[in-house]
Amino acid sequence: MTTTTDTAAPARDRGAWLRGTRLNEIGLVVAIAVLYIVLGSTAAGFLNAGNQLGMLRDAATIGIAAWGVTLVIIAGEIDISIGPAVAFASVLVAMGSADWGLGVVGAIVLTLVLGTAWGALAGWLRAQFGVPSFIATLGLWSVLGGLGLYLTNALPVVLPQSGLLDVLGGSILGIPTAAIVMLVLFAVFVYVAKYTAYGRAVYAVGGNPAAAMLAGINLSRVRIVLFATTGLLSAITGILLAARLGAGSGSAASGLEFDVIAAVVIGGTALAGGRGSLLGTLLGVVFITVIGNGLVLLGVDSFLQDVIRGVIIVGAVLINVWAGRRGTATRTS
Amino acid sequence: MQTQTDTVVADVRGLTKHYAGVKALTDADVTIRGGEVRALLGRNGAGKSTLIRLLAGVETADRGTVQIAGQPLDGGVRRAAELGVETVHQELSLVPQMTVAENMFLGAWPMTGGRVDFAAMRRGAAEVLSELDLAIDPDALVEDLPIAEQQLVEICRAVRRAPRLLILDEPTSALAAGEVAVVLATVRRVAETGVAVIYVSHRLDEIRQVATSATVMRDGRVIETVDLEDVSTRRVVELMLGDAVQEQDRPATRSVDRDATPRLSVRNLAAGRKVEDVSFDVYPGEVVGLAGLMGSGRSETLRAIAGFDPIDSGEVWVDGTPITSVTPRGMKSLGIGMTPEDRKSSAIVPLLGVDENLALADYRQVSDGPTIRWERLRAAAARLIDRLSIATARSTTPIVNLSGGNQQKAVIGRWLHAGSRVLLLDEPTRGVDVQAKEEIYRLIRELADDGAAVVFVSGELEELPLVCDRVVVVRHGRVTGEMVGEQITTDAVVAAAMTTD
Repeated sequence: MTTTTDTAAPARDRGAWLRGTRLNEIGLVVAIAVLYIVLGSTAAGFLNAGNQLGMLRDAATIGIAAWGVTLVIIAGEIDISIGPAVAFASVLVAMGSADWGLGVVGAIVLTLVLGTAWGALAGWLRAQFGVPSFIATLGLWSVLGGLGLYLTNALPVVLPQSGLLDVLGGSILGIPTAAIVMLVLFAVFVYVAKYTAYGRAVYAVGGNPAAAMLAGINLSRVRIVLFATTGLLSAITGILLAARLGAGSGSAASGLEFDVIAAVVIGGTALAGGRGSLLGTLLGVVFITVIGNGLVLLGVDSFLQDVIRGVIIVGAVLINVWAGRRGTATRTS
Repeated sequence: MQTQTDTVVADVRGLTKHYAGVKALTDADVTIRGGEVRALLGRNGAGKSTLIRLLAGVETADRGTVQIAGQPLDGGVRRAAELGVETVHQELSLVPQMTVAENMFLGAWPMTGGRVDFAAMRRGAAEVLSELDLAIDPDALVEDLPIAEQQLVEICRAVRRAPRLLILDEPTSALAAGEVAVVLATVRRVAETGVAVIYVSHRLDEIRQVATSATVMRDGRVIETVDLEDVSTRRVVELMLGDAVQEQDRPATRSVDRDATPRLSVRNLAAGRKVEDVSFDVYPGEVVGLAGLMGSGRSETLRAIAGFDPIDSGEVWVDGTPITSVTPRGMKSLGIGMTPEDRKSSAIVPLLGVDENLALADYRQVSDGPTIRWERLRAAAARLIDRLSIATARSTTPIVNLSGGNQQKAVIGRWLHAGSRVLLLDEPTRGVDVQAKEEIYRLIRELADDGAAVVFVSGELEELPLVCDRVVVVRHGRVTGEMVGEQITTDAVVAAAMTTD
């Protein structure tokens, strides 16, 4: 439509930008505001500073891994290993410092290195042999979950006293350390996604892997780095969780992988790859955390909480898909 | 070809469809009779696709009526199918892992006693195939068939449903010249059975072989329906373009210094099953065409040179230096860029902006250390958009919203951005309209004038005389001839590529 669209294209383009990328985020902000108003007036103590800081800490458990998983999903892959990976990392840091005599710093370093390594392994299986990432990380999910329980006999491993762990598990200037880590990493990931060749390659690989390959992008390297990153982020989350609980546990963070994926998808990242934003994921993390917190404060039965959360998550994604479909300007001719 | 009957199959009156701000179709009147093959001509965006979508019931008109065999088309896709409208789209929609028979009965499997009756399915498929005089095994897996036969299976699937109106949207665009004949013959045979056929194509020569009349569209309107027997190609092109036709004459022969060191030399290249023994040189400022039919190994040759397929034997030299290890990264850094033949599936990243699609192969130029400087990226993109006259609302528009020709220019621009001095262009004009083709020819010549060495591959052999300084003929993975300057004529190129020995 060389002639006819030239005049019409700018309007449609702007509309697509508004609807496709921003509507979702504006919608989430509105939804979160509504939640705040409703919960603020119905749930006792919701607006307390203590509760708000607690939510920030809870958000960190989902958020840190969610930054990495956002990139994984944008690249058209998936990582379902987060929950067991976090649990195993908490076990590693606890056993490393309490049982293996590595000291706290040694145990933390070991955990970070191993986390990166098992992530890279999953990425390598994906990149080198074409093992679907769902399967590669399902394997990881099972192996790490099993190892964590096996090493500890399913009992919590208490961490030794340590100033460093107190800081990691506590607060800095009143703000939970985990939340600070989350926000710093958020900034890093926003930068990486938008301002580095690697970040753009992630979008390109997810949008059209063949084109990315023919443009000289090293797909294997991108994929390995993606999963190494989520491994590292899981390890960080595990360390922070252990520090906060004072113990490592093979059964910690159960089901976290689904909260993470839900946050990413609610945030508007397409499971099919190629499209997504970290800001959306941040809002998705807040959304999920607020709902979880509100349901607890409202005294909803814990089994029923899962039911309500499930409905809300699917509903949110449904709205997203609907908004995305209307907003995407595509022409096939 | 004279099978036209008096039965009006499709009667379109005052059909109008406007999208937000785009007058896709305005007051279209078309009448098509049984047994007639009607060509539908027009540039991309002339309204052909919209007309087809309305006929197939995919979209609903704002105004106007469509009658199929006297009955109003007043519903969606189901109603259209009920009335006997079948469409074969440009992209193949077969399930590759299923047999020919199963694909022909996809979604409408014959059942006996609650089970799929494979025997009946095979019989039905064989019947259609023999009716159209095609030697395709109904039990063959579709993925094992050449593209041309896959296209025929698509047509058979539509024919099996006994359509009144069969719409073919560029059925030959993926085929080489030699493969087109069998598809055209099949289309004629379908028409002989009394079916009305709408045939969309950019290839004028093949339209003349299959259709008696052509409806020309432009800017969303039906301009004229012409009898193809007494209209010149020039007149048809005039109707399509609206303005005076530009001279499609050969560009002036340029002088290329062939005593200099070739920018790229290929010696006895063998790679995979399709490339057996290919040698040629490309000099700075030269456009060399690789002339070959589909399957001759022309695309595979480019892929091997660019490092994407392993080389079995032979040598690649760049600027007089033999390259010991031909890898994608290495060849890219030596200034070799390749644009793939399938633009949609392997060249563009649809949702990224034009700017990023341009920068994709080299972010370093627009970065400080690891940090991408977006203002520099945008500026670089703007320069290329300007230089290549890419028509886009803005540089950040997702590339999928651009027309095919503009997408292709951006894909070529990607390698200019990366500083490539050797451009391997695989089918750069596939599926783009006449005007965009001419712009791409001009662009390629200009790049060569600026010193680039270009290897140009096209399935439309008649393009080669319009762009190339030299043509290397490839047949079955071997170089079988070479033409320079005045020797390059359409006849000569086609004959050389098609001769079998």
